[in-house]
Amino acid sequence: MIKYILKRLLQSVIVVLLVVCIVFFLLRLMPSDYFFTEDELMKFTETQKYAKLERLGIMDMCPDCHGSGLVGEAACAKCVQNPQDAKGAGYVNRSILSQLGDFFGDLIQFRVFNNKGKEVKSEDPISLVSYLSARLNGQEPFGELKEGYFARPVFNLGKSIRLEKNQYVTDVIQKKMTVSMEIGLISLAISLVVGVVLGVAQARCKDRLLDHIGTGYTVLVNAVPHLVIYTIIMIAGASIFGLPMRYDATAPNPGLTKVLPIICLSIGSIAGYMLWTRRYMVDELNKDYIRLAKLKGLSDRKVMFRHVLKNAFVPLAQYLPYSILLTVGGSLLVETFFAVPGMGPELTKAISRYDLNLVQGIVLLYATMGILGVFLGDLLMTLIDPRIKLTGKEHVR
Amino acid sequence: MKRILSLVLAIAMLLGVASFASADELTNLNTYETQARELETWNIHYSQAAADLNVLCNLFDGLLTNDNHGNLKLNAAKSYETPDGGKTWIFTLNEGMTWFNKDGEVQADVKASDWATGLEWVLNYAKNDSYNVSMPAEMIAGANDYYEYTQALAESDPDAVKALTAEEGSKFAEMVGIATDDEAGTITYTLVDALPYFPSVATYNCLYPLSAEMIEEMGVDGYRDVTWEDMWYNGAYTVTYFENQNQKVLTKSPNYWNDANCKRFDTVTIKMVESASTAYQLFKQGELDHISLDQATLQGIYSGETDGEYKANLVESRPTKYSYQMHLVYNKNLEDGETPDANWNLAVANENFRKSWYYGLDLTNYFARTNAINPLSCQNFVYTGNGVAFTSDGKDYTQLVRDELGLQYDSEKYARVNADLAAEYKAKAIEELTAKGVTFPVTVDYYISGASDVAAQTAEVLKNIFSECLGDDYVTLKVNTYISSLANEVRKPRKASFFINGWGADFADPINFLGQETYNDPQAYYSNAYSNCNDNDDPDLVAAYQEFTDLVVAAKAITNDMDARYAAFAKAEACFLNHALVIPCSYEVSWELTKVNNYSKVYSMYGMQGYRYVDWETNSVPYTTEEMAALAEAYAAE
Repeated sequence: MIKYILKRLLQSVIVVLLVVCIVFFLLRLMPSDYFFTEDELMKFTETQKYAKLERLGIMDMCPDCHGSGLVGEAACAKCVQNPQDAKGAGYVNRSILSQLGDFFGDLIQFRVFNNKGKEVKSEDPISLVSYLSARLNGQEPFGELKEGYFARPVFNLGKSIRLEKNQYVTDVIQKKMTVSMEIGLISLAISLVVGVVLGVAQARCKDRLLDHIGTGYTVLVNAVPHLVIYTIIMIAGASIFGLPMRYDATAPNPGLTKVLPIICLSIGSIAGYMLWTRRYMVDELNKDYIRLAKLKGLSDRKVMFRHVLKNAFVPLAQYLPYSILLTVGGSLLVETFFAVPGMGPELTKAISRYDLNLVQGIVLLYATMGILGVFLGDLLMTLIDPRIKLTGKEHVR
Repeated sequence: MKRILSLVLAIAMLLGVASFASADELTNLNTYETQARELETWNIHYSQAAADLNVLCNLFDGLLTNDNHGNLKLNAAKSYETPDGGKTWIFTLNEGMTWFNKDGEVQADVKASDWATGLEWVLNYAKNDSYNVSMPAEMIAGANDYYEYTQALAESDPDAVKALTAEEGSKFAEMVGIATDDEAGTITYTLVDALPYFPSVATYNCLYPLSAEMIEEMGVDGYRDVTWEDMWYNGAYTVTYFENQNQKVLTKSPNYWNDANCKRFDTVTIKMVESASTAYQLFKQGELDHISLDQATLQGIYSGETDGEYKANLVESRPTKYSYQMHLVYNKNLEDGETPDANWNLAVANENFRKSWYYGLDLTNYFARTNAINPLSCQNFVYTGNGVAFTSDGKDYTQLVRDELGLQYDSEKYARVNADLAAEYKAKAIEELTAKGVTFPVTVDYYISGASDVAAQTAEVLKNIFSECLGDDYVTLKVNTYISSLANEVRKPRKASFFINGWGADFADPINFLGQETYNDPQAYYSNAYSNCNDNDDPDLVAAYQEFTDLVVAAKAITNDMDARYAAFAKAEACFLNHALVIPCSYEVSWELTKVNNYSKVYSMYGMQGYRYVDWETNSVPYTTEEMAALAEAYAAE
């Protein structure tokens, strides 16, 4: 089993690396003008544009003419070789591979902090390699630090270039995923409890009124566009129950402002859990061992909860870790609609604004969570149902 | 007698207005922005985006600001003067100004040298990535040289560039035309030439102060990446809460130097909302104090179909600073972005063809997309924005242009449209262009964002206007879409026949508008990036552009007599429009529901002062249409 886990973890690392590299290349293959806002394209001079690209690590100032070449004028040999329209502008493109090298090289950075734990921004961070080589050469990597200052390694994904300009991507993600996870986990718990209970009730009352109502609810939730449902919930919640229409952590009762987003998040998941619980339970109810249990005189309640639900829950359990980890990603629609400052809209916004580092960071997070979720789901199944084996030659999933 | 009567009327009106204006004012303002317009940086020197500056202008005080009529108003400076007709400008600071943190704790005094530190930061290539460089580099003596010096030095020794300061004896002090005296509180700018409009530049963030002590404390990188939590403020508000894409709370600064002389809200909460319709729902719930209405909501309220109770509160907004034009493209390519569109290029170079558009296009239905009630409030006959410059007798510069053109606004009629004249020019154009081999109808490519339903509906309206006003035998408007970037997908490959674009001024002079359109001028943004006029060698077109450019150059040279300068610019602009080199399109005038007296707000038609939440008059309930009309009249009488 340990061998299997290690193998799966290694595979996961390789897949995550591949995803990161592919996204890295795709983002940097775009024309450089996409890194500017329409406003910047309107107001920036060519030199301003290249200065920004240099800061993003996409271009370098030409080592020969030092950025002093002018567009349209004869430039030095290196600038002329520049395949983009930087011809003669005193800048040259950096190769994608060297940019990728920088990305991986800077994944672990040493930064200086003061005794309050706040980063000292006047001290430039240095990469792990530079830090170690300085140490090996007997030098202090940051020179003499002030009293109370100390250096420590941090995981670094660069800084956001648009959405939260110049803020560390790791800080942005951490802040946003906390918000998303909070409402996501509450919603997941509600959905799981309510969905499974209602699914069991439906299965017990199969083809009776309660079952039909449950099926109607499931069909309705899946058939009506979510935005319509959210709008109805928002207007009804605000006008009938006086609930706040948007997330507001500064409100006198911030918990109340999370109610509508949580309801909206739960409404679809409840339908999902109801549908699958009912379906798996009905399947189980028709099996021989259930008939035998009933013939042996076990009460309906015992049959339902000790045997049927336990076995019906196995396929649902597989997706549970995935669902929990997925709460990190938030919900694009709900978070946009209720102005929840979470992860939901972050990736689409980062992509539409070509925020390279943020896209990179979020993709890395999602890829890791996705792979880890599936992996943990498989493990959880084996714990719940010992008949399931992940290793060996027979009966292996 | 008339004068006395009008004075009495004005006083009565002011008193009447004051009676409801002061009835029950808001102490906390709740306003909004759509989520696409979230602030991206807290560093005021490091931004050129309106979404940032609309917030930041409340957190920092520059030398000058604007009042509710758009006039320059003293702010951090208590006086300013020019001893030599505009080449040297001396600003004297108020006493008692301080830098404070977000909690209002005083960190340092605001000194004259802070303006030198701020300018050094802007001009330093390694510190500010060239943001906001262009205006000071063009105007202040030695500024461009210093910028280039830092740029060259950055390659060999970036740390040395970052270590540069504005201290006495520094390279900056030696090279750049700014001298400061902390004792006397004076800042003296020496310009490259006499620039009479320079004080208006002092309202813009390129000339904002920066504390050297703060830089020392947080370092160069620390200030570039500064956040609301660790920066120093000197303005009317500090930020006490910020959550990206959710909301920001600005709180009245407790140690604000000008507390006694200005009215501020206790807090201003800027809520980020998903769309205008969400904002409307929030307004109905009392969570917002003013909103702009989209066309559907406006029509619903106006017709009484939805929320008719708000009909009495519908208020027409004041025009924004943007002047929208139809920018014709004189060197266009076909859809492949490479092959010249010879048919269009020949047609657009013909003055009769352009004039048939100028006189023929009745854009009323297009205006109705923004202003369904009074579409003609949006009509625009000139190129320069309203309220950018005024003559010594208080006349708006754009009035001079309209006088030259012989066109005046009429709320009942679209005065520029003349169907007979348009038909005449059309006939001439067809005759002349057919002889040159142009085939009719000429295809007109117009591009909109593929993701916007609103843009698609508006384009459909425009298509109908072209069809009805110019005729399908003459031109065919073809609506195309781009995916994400107009600049990259359309403008650069030159795929559009025209763009409708708005331009807002950064400082108070017509050159800020007309200078974008001059011929063979590398600094002329629209000539180079939009119209591509330099690449069409039609002799008549070149002659028209040259005539306009010569007039602009002559007007620009007049620096000692502002009335003469504006008159000369008005002639140049009239020449530009008489040749129909662009076609003036619209102003942004929409409708809103508001508890804020629009006529009390800073009304700056250039620069970045328009969103200062200072001296606003408000009401606890939305103003009615009549109340706002009375406020408008009182404002006009002031």
